[in-house]
Amino acid sequence: MNVATVDDKLEPAASSAPDGRRGGLAPWLLLAPALVIVLIFFGIPTLYMVRMSFNLHVDQRLYVPGFTFEHYVDLFSNPLFTNAIWTTVQLSLVASVFTVLLGYSFALLVWLQPTRWRLAFIGLALCPLLISEISIIFGWWMFFPRNGLLSYALVNSGLVADKVSLMYTEFAAFVGLVYLTLPYSFFILLSIFDGIDKQLLEASADLAAPPVTTFREILLPLTRTGLLVAFAQCFIWVMGTYATPSALGPDTLWTMGYLIQEQMLGKHNWPMAAAFSMVLVTGVCCVMILTRSLMSKRAAFHA
Amino acid sequence: MREAIMPVALRNLEPLLLRVLAAAFMLFIIVFIAIPIVINLTMSFSDAAMIRFPITGWSMRWYRDFFGSEQWTAALVNSIVIALGTTVISTSAGILAAWAFERFPIPFKDGWYVIIMMPLFMPGVVLGLGMAIAFGGTSIGGYSIYGSRELVMIAHSLWAMPLVFMLMEATFRTIDHRILEASYDLGGRPVRTFFEIVMPMVSTGIVSSALFAFVISLNEFVMALFLTDRDTQTLPVLMWLSLRSAGTPRLAVASVILALAVFACLTLIMVWYVRELTKTSR
Repeated sequence: MNVATVDDKLEPAASSAPDGRRGGLAPWLLLAPALVIVLIFFGIPTLYMVRMSFNLHVDQRLYVPGFTFEHYVDLFSNPLFTNAIWTTVQLSLVASVFTVLLGYSFALLVWLQPTRWRLAFIGLALCPLLISEISIIFGWWMFFPRNGLLSYALVNSGLVADKVSLMYTEFAAFVGLVYLTLPYSFFILLSIFDGIDKQLLEASADLAAPPVTTFREILLPLTRTGLLVAFAQCFIWVMGTYATPSALGPDTLWTMGYLIQEQMLGKHNWPMAAAFSMVLVTGVCCVMILTRSLMSKRAAFHA
Repeated sequence: MREAIMPVALRNLEPLLLRVLAAAFMLFIIVFIAIPIVINLTMSFSDAAMIRFPITGWSMRWYRDFFGSEQWTAALVNSIVIALGTTVISTSAGILAAWAFERFPIPFKDGWYVIIMMPLFMPGVVLGLGMAIAFGGTSIGGYSIYGSRELVMIAHSLWAMPLVFMLMEATFRTIDHRILEASYDLGGRPVRTFFEIVMPMVSTGIVSSALFAFVISLNEFVMALFLTDRDTQTLPVLMWLSLRSAGTPRLAVASVILALAVFACLTLIMVWYVRELTKTSR
């Protein structure tokens, strides 16, 4: 035991010696390509965007150098933009809550399944992750309209008399978003379930607890952190996306992503698009920081 | 007998009602996930000019149309070239950075970790917009960066590289350091040790992270939408633009081709993995 500890302590020092002078130039050379990518192609554009968001926008020109808070004021006073922010938050909330519920039940059932089915279900859950978002959008695009599969199936089975269309409704956008985020919540929650000892369930049943009580008293408290992380992941994802809501949802469903794209490519108002992006990025960061702090608080509570 | 097959936990957890509910839910999930995939697959063999159910005739018409169209094949080639470039850039940068993290004491390690991982959590709209603003008018020696395939490769690397870095960091941790020491003791220089000892040990990790980078780049279209022009647009961008004008079964064909490319990659990972397993078991 003693020898092992000494060995462990010695090892890092001994092993890093031949590679170079302990934090000399070598690690920075190895890190250089990654840092170039991140700092030049993510850092510089971010700085540009911050600067751009204060520029002026006059007479249909992309931008005019200057300094103004106009765009930020506009963002939080113009009902068009405040509505978009509100819509985005609402859509993200509803879609994430639903996705997490769905992902939770799915992960729970897969966890309880015999192992031979497990791989098949994991493969199934990987599908939405591996297929391009555009293909998925197109799939639902063929499912919801009047001449789509849903309408055909409903009419043929005699459930409805006339063709129906759910295309370009908020429901269609919602289904698309749930589909795209389901794998994230599923895999996060499955990994949490895998860390739970199944014998806890037997113990609870032996003590005559009905399934609902077992769920409420044992499974739910053990998976709370996972629920939080899965929710945050879905929320961030939905907040930043724009293709699915704009392709499947109604024309009036203006999310932040859609308006950024619209200001950039349609209205050629770069400062406004940049200001909007800054708000979106700030929102994403806030959710991440909030999740982290909630997680560490929970961890501290358990310890 | 059936009782014996059911896992003990499940049997104890619930009465019959819950079991029926669970089966119904599983069926719902399977159908839900299958719907867009199956629709794309069947529609790609449709003979009609429009998207319409029921499908009346079957043919390979739209496949011929896809491969006969210069615009669509060019987009497919762009997609593959960009995905290959992204794979090379993100895999080499990600592996080197992960190796540095594994082997060297770096000041402010956690800070650098967050910085490298940050782009992965940023929305594609924001990354695309930022790069378009920053590099919109830039050209090097008369070669316009904006609209070039190289810029899209780097944009995609912003998502792919952190992923490779994360996967490889975890993989490198599994290496037995005594083997490296043996190599150094026998006079192996760091670079040679890396290529001859370390790389073969983590080959499965490298292959899987490279293929994930490839798949990410192949499927991405929001950043590409901001950064490409008519000549460099990728297949998903072209699909998005034509979906906005009119949807035809050609889009379903494009979806199938994209999905086939992804599943070919997956098969490659599986084959590699099985080969490595048999090698070690021998």
